[in-house]
Amino acid sequence: MLSVLLWAPLAFGILCLVAPRGAARWVVLAGSLAALGIAIGLAVDFESATAGMQHAVEKSWISDLGVSYSLGVDGISVFLVLLTALLWAAATAFSALRAYPLGDDRSRFYYFLLALAETAVLGAFLAQDLLLFVLFFDLMLIPFFFLIGTFGGEGRIAATTKMIVYTLVGSLLMLVAAIATAILTADGGELTFSIATLRESPLPEGSQEWIFCFFAAAFLVKMPAFPIHGWMPDAYRAAPLPVLVLLSAVLSKVGAYGFLRVVFPLFPEATVTFQELVLVIGVASILYGSVMAFTQTNVRLVAGYSSIAQLGFITIGIFSLTTDGADGAVLQMVNHGLVVAPLFLIIAILYERTRTEDLREMGGLATRAPVLAALFLVVTMATLAIPGSANFIGEFYILNALFQEKIVYAIVAAAGVALAAFYALRLYQRTMHNRLPAGAISREIAPRDALVIAPLVACIVALAFYPGLILERGEAAVEDKAASIRTPVTASGPAP
Amino acid sequence: MSASDFAWLVLLLPLAGSMVIALGWRALPGRTAGYLGTASIGLAFACSLGALISLLGEPHDARQIADSLYDYASAASLEIPLEILVDPLSVFMCLVVTGVSTLIHLYSVAYMDSDAGYRRFFALLNFFVFSMLVLVLAGNFVVLIVGWAFVGFASYALISFWYRRETATRAGMKAFVINVVGDVGLVIAAFLVFRELGTFGFLESFEAARETFSTNEGTVVAICLLMLVGAFAKSAQLPLHTWLPDAMEGPTPVSALIHAATMVTAGVYLIARMFPFFELAPTAADISAFIGLATLVVAATIALVVTDLKRIIAYSTMSQIGYMVVGVSIGAYGAGLFHLMTHAFFKALLFMAAGSVIAAIAGRQSIDGMSGFRRALPLTSGLLIVGALALAGFPGMSGFFSKDEILVFAAERGGMYWIFAIGGYVAAFLTAFYAFRIGFRVVLGEPCPEARELERGHLAHADPVNPLTGEPEDTEVGFPGPEHHIAERARPMAIAMGALGLLSVIGGALQIPGVSAGLEHFFEPTFEESAFHEVIPSSGSAWLGLAVGGAVAIAGIALAYLLYVARPGVTARLAERLSGVHRFLFNRWYFDQLQDALVYRPLVGAGRFANAVFERFVVNGIVQGTVGVVRGAGSAVRGAQSGFVRGYALLLVGGFTALGVYFLAAAS
Amino acid sequence: MTFTAPEIDYAGISPIIALTVGLVATLLGGLVSGARRQRIVVSALGFATLAATAGLCVWQWGEQKDLVAGALRLDDLALAVSLIVIACAAFCIPLSWREESVDRPVGAAGHGEFQALLICSVLGMVLIAMAQNLIAFFVALELLSIPLYVLCGSALRRSESLESGLKYLIIGSLGSATLLYGLAFVYGASGSTDFTAIAAGIGGSLVDDPLLLIGIALAATGLAFKLSIAPFHQWTPDVYQGAPTPVTAFMAVATKAAVFAAVVRFFEVALGPAVEDWQPALAALAAVSIVVGNVGALGQDSLKRLLGYSGVAQAGYMMVAVVAANEAGVSALVFYLAAYALMNLPAFAVIAIRERETPFGDDIRSVEGLGRERPWLAGTLTISMLALAGLPGTAGFIGKLFLIEAAVDGDYTWLAVLIAIGTMISLAYYLRVIAAVWMRPAVEPGDHPGAVAMPALAGGSQEADEAARGTRCPLIIGLTLLAAAASVFFGVIPSPLVEWAEKAGAAIGSLVD
Repeated sequence: MLSVLLWAPLAFGILCLVAPRGAARWVVLAGSLAALGIAIGLAVDFESATAGMQHAVEKSWISDLGVSYSLGVDGISVFLVLLTALLWAAATAFSALRAYPLGDDRSRFYYFLLALAETAVLGAFLAQDLLLFVLFFDLMLIPFFFLIGTFGGEGRIAATTKMIVYTLVGSLLMLVAAIATAILTADGGELTFSIATLRESPLPEGSQEWIFCFFAAAFLVKMPAFPIHGWMPDAYRAAPLPVLVLLSAVLSKVGAYGFLRVVFPLFPEATVTFQELVLVIGVASILYGSVMAFTQTNVRLVAGYSSIAQLGFITIGIFSLTTDGADGAVLQMVNHGLVVAPLFLIIAILYERTRTEDLREMGGLATRAPVLAALFLVVTMATLAIPGSANFIGEFYILNALFQEKIVYAIVAAAGVALAAFYALRLYQRTMHNRLPAGAISREIAPRDALVIAPLVACIVALAFYPGLILERGEAAVEDKAASIRTPVTASGPAP
Repeated sequence: MSASDFAWLVLLLPLAGSMVIALGWRALPGRTAGYLGTASIGLAFACSLGALISLLGEPHDARQIADSLYDYASAASLEIPLEILVDPLSVFMCLVVTGVSTLIHLYSVAYMDSDAGYRRFFALLNFFVFSMLVLVLAGNFVVLIVGWAFVGFASYALISFWYRRETATRAGMKAFVINVVGDVGLVIAAFLVFRELGTFGFLESFEAARETFSTNEGTVVAICLLMLVGAFAKSAQLPLHTWLPDAMEGPTPVSALIHAATMVTAGVYLIARMFPFFELAPTAADISAFIGLATLVVAATIALVVTDLKRIIAYSTMSQIGYMVVGVSIGAYGAGLFHLMTHAFFKALLFMAAGSVIAAIAGRQSIDGMSGFRRALPLTSGLLIVGALALAGFPGMSGFFSKDEILVFAAERGGMYWIFAIGGYVAAFLTAFYAFRIGFRVVLGEPCPEARELERGHLAHADPVNPLTGEPEDTEVGFPGPEHHIAERARPMAIAMGALGLLSVIGGALQIPGVSAGLEHFFEPTFEESAFHEVIPSSGSAWLGLAVGGAVAIAGIALAYLLYVARPGVTARLAERLSGVHRFLFNRWYFDQLQDALVYRPLVGAGRFANAVFERFVVNGIVQGTVGVVRGAGSAVRGAQSGFVRGYALLLVGGFTALGVYFLAAAS
Repeated sequence: MTFTAPEIDYAGISPIIALTVGLVATLLGGLVSGARRQRIVVSALGFATLAATAGLCVWQWGEQKDLVAGALRLDDLALAVSLIVIACAAFCIPLSWREESVDRPVGAAGHGEFQALLICSVLGMVLIAMAQNLIAFFVALELLSIPLYVLCGSALRRSESLESGLKYLIIGSLGSATLLYGLAFVYGASGSTDFTAIAAGIGGSLVDDPLLLIGIALAATGLAFKLSIAPFHQWTPDVYQGAPTPVTAFMAVATKAAVFAAVVRFFEVALGPAVEDWQPALAALAAVSIVVGNVGALGQDSLKRLLGYSGVAQAGYMMVAVVAANEAGVSALVFYLAAYALMNLPAFAVIAIRERETPFGDDIRSVEGLGRERPWLAGTLTISMLALAGLPGTAGFIGKLFLIEAAVDGDYTWLAVLIAIGTMISLAYYLRVIAAVWMRPAVEPGDHPGAVAMPALAGGSQEADEAARGTRCPLIIGLTLLAAAASVFFGVIPSPLVEWAEKAGAAIGSLVD
């Protein structure tokens, strides 16, 4: 089941390489829709009571190196998998329906890369073997390198190289850290990378700490978190918007997810040791991201920096080290993905109407486009986490948890909420309201775009009515992870 | 059907109306959207009555009904059902909200007729009513916060309804952000409640609070102060009031409904609803009362000099809310809410009349250009005067009873609370004066050109301009429509205004000292735990207070008559004589400039700094630095690549020597 | 007295015999006249030889025995490395066709000499992989080096080629001399030329005898030089760039493979007891090499120089496996050598092909726009670059994984971290190549004045150069694709190769730790 989900996109991707050029995009779209179907299936028959892995797959892969091909979903990953499948379908459909990349004879390559990327990301979310996780984590970068570098805009090559090197700094160290974990744990015994097994015999605190640092570096860069977000502005400026959707909505989550999946169970003591530090980083990200977001004039960067702030919330939620906070964080991961994806798609639409991405040269687009305006307004309100949206519940859980644990951080972070209101609304008003600048045309959203954006907005609204959906299913698994922090297995050196 | 079932219906109807209009906007020709919206609210009002009746049917102590629909977001240690609380207070609020809303919807049906955003308007207006009802019916903090934020959103959307006016979008943004600040306060208050009492439910937390907290304990004071942040942001009390005058950018019905009758009184409702906390934290209650008093006076003084008709009324709203805040803070819950109701009537009426006048004068809003409409707009003028009388608290009018009840209560509590009584009467004098500053200048005097035109039966039409900046505007979407509508010619407007006029006159009858005390009894189930439940002024002192109030009101009106009718022009000389004071008041005590300097600029500055300095030098510096180092090393290595064999040989020997030395060193 | 002929294990030395015979045959094949015919005949013989040898190696797989009075050791390590070397040679033969170094304008075509030298070098490599006696060791080393000197200079009409040949010869002999010195010292110290005997001789007591230590230092220097480990790497970029590309390809991969096998034997078998002494030293060398190689490759426009520096870095990575000094290390090394062949050869092949198609030589401009022009070639180049960068989904990733495991296992975690950092730096230049391939439009020769055909030197003829242009030999492309495919295959399903490498490791593993 999971293997099918994992490999289906890639299979279709390879198919599209040999398919006639015209058909290529539909092949890949079919693949992503198939994956979406399976993902929905997973979410539907999900057992919310159990904390363990479901639909687990366990095969030995490189037995000599102790690496096994083991997949599984639990309350933390199931909705992230669903989100991935959904947004990939959306981005692919958005591209396919407008025959993107326009007038480029390498469209096959583009769609193949999309498919490959989906498999890689799904792999990262499904992997239950530490090394498999690292492998997919690194693999994700390759397709994005090509997608941005080949189909991007201004200064794409520099931007994409910067992004890759930057993010690989973390993930290669993570590779070393992962191997070290396994070997130190095995201590001459049977070598294994299975997270479940490693968890049973945690490392002595000393080695936990440096290994934690390596993992944290990888995850925080990926998010990205302040002040290691240096790759973000360039990459966001250069990336093609459908790709940017995935970059910002899904890839950023893998980092946050990694903390819950890998760091909590394997390095509990270190997590506690570094809690304050990470909280500081998270809060700083919130404030810095927000403040930056409302001085940016490039629409992509407004959204980009707002993501930094949002990921900050997720981070502090996780590092409140409580079930509430982490559960809220899981919800917030999905919310942010659901919100930022339509946002970037709308930016693409706005660009078509104004031929600019500079806020100062936009405006008045709502005049002839009530539907577009309405959709955008919903997205905006969700972005600023207006109470009544699922985003609010996410932040409510996060901040409440943090408030009970570390009141100061919670109050500082709460300031971020007010700032969010300002930059999100600014983005909406500067584009949709005020006078229509010369040269810009206000046109209603095209059906083909509505076909992609409307469902996403529908998801936002639906979730607003019942955020419990995710919270309740996440609870058991999150509780299990948080428990490993509160009562770590006594780390009396490596296991015998 | 039980009261709670009715309550759910009350919530459902406006939402349904809003959704139908929003989704079916293409399919709704002409005024259908308007009538649809009005109908849904009207039905909601009917259901509120139903709730009232079935609530009165309950035994006295079973009149607090909490009912939840489903588990909205319950996981881990948090229990958050979608819960409403039906008790006299919430039902009372429902009645006021739905009642006034129905009339204002009716008014808008005609008033907004020629606006290109007609359907959008009603969708939003219905949504606002829904949100307001969520707010007042909420049964726990989360639902309260949801309603709280939704009204903020609706208010934003309607303030910047004419979204192609720069001024309107700015005002909307300001209102929204300030309200979000309030939300944050409320949210943190909720966290604190949860932390101390372990629940978000109202009734449960009230219970727990009484057991947990001792009077004036730090935590409970903190909780109350945080709630006050929320309350003051919504109710435009100092220093979070600056958004309200700007909010007048919205269409007049919006000003009438949201920024006079309902939303801005949410703060008052909150304080009343949270009275168990506030009575445990008298300090916070007193702070709130004093801020209320300050607002009351400050706003009244500003209303003396402002020339924009709608803004005068806006400041008057602020100051009237000041009365209510004082009332509910000092424990006069019944009186405060009573004033909330009467104020809703006459303030809505005033706005509607103002709208009619503004329409008659082709969309301009400065009262300088207005005079002598008594013959041109008989109905409007009449109702305007009625409204003004009620506002001024002229004996017999609704405002007369409600306001003075608060002040008498203050006097009754004695001690420092006398301050509120005295301050209240001073402000009442100012109120009466500015109320008739409007009344006399608009109605009496030499008819202005538009008025004359209208007397000849022709409604004035000028090229539409933004009344604030005077910039010309087209009549596209996002601007007021080309047509103007006055009560004299549009029946729906006339009906709505007539009804409100009637209510402003007789509304006071609910609560006449010694004669009737309907509200007090009705509210008992909610407030019987209150410490001030027993504080009831003797009807003697009550009548004394009324007498003083009446005298003050008449004095104010007289002064206004003297200055504006008998001896016009005196005011101008006065303004020159006291130019300093005048400027200070005219600039609204410089509150906007203060906020700008203290909050907005620093933040933007920080952003610019982060952008220009931090991002470039630190964030990129990290990268550039490393890259530089690596590149440097690279060129060094390439530099060593001389291409001459001798060089290589040298390095080979050098390398070997190094190794050898190392080995020997390691050995010894 | 009766003379008893020594017992000779013909089966064991059969690969060597095969190579020797083939060497002679190929050389004679060079007598056939007519460039085309000659090429066919010679190549046929060459392939036959290699095929035969490979077959015999496979046949001997799993054997463990001393040959020639213990001068040679036949085991899976030796055989595995031999197979890698043979594969490289087989890959380079077709690559050398149409190489101007062998397509002389005037009748006398050089295929015979070229391939004979190639096979001779292979013979040397096979021998050194087996050598467990100082004498055999050194002889084999020279046997593999000298033909390479010649091959480097074989492009007679290109001054760079001649220069590189000469350079390699001089520096190379310096290196050999150092090594020889070192071996002498070691002999002097331990009193034996046989590896196992040396180990016994050192046995604890002698460990910190300066004589021995100097010997080790000298030997290390000499070997490091052959492996182009920094700081003894400087000849590498020059020689790689100057030499004819097929030769470069062969040198880059095969030499490393063979010499590393020798290094493993020498240090882990012969100098096993002195492990405490040489481990840190080699670790230092590895570290320096990783850093220097990677930073050196930055901003290189010549692809061959770039690969040269990357070779230096890669050698550093592999040296880590030696430093680990455990069975896992040896397996990792063998695996990485195989992977290294799979990722390097296609890269060189593409360069060679582009050299002949574009006027840019091996300049990075020659591959710009390849993605649109020749997607398949572009794909292979991309894969080998990604593999060299050690990105997942390729044999390179598994190889690095293997190395890092070995390093951490041998308590050299800091070297593992260094590998990671090196890899990060390396991305900067590997990705640059990929970017050129996919993300830039092809360059028109016209608009780049720097672009000139190879300079015609003595005996040069434009026609010949033109003739040499634009070869699209299906065999080369086929092999290239095959290799690239293999490096992906072993990236996804590494187990077979891993097990193979583990066997090779086991051969030596029994002796270490």
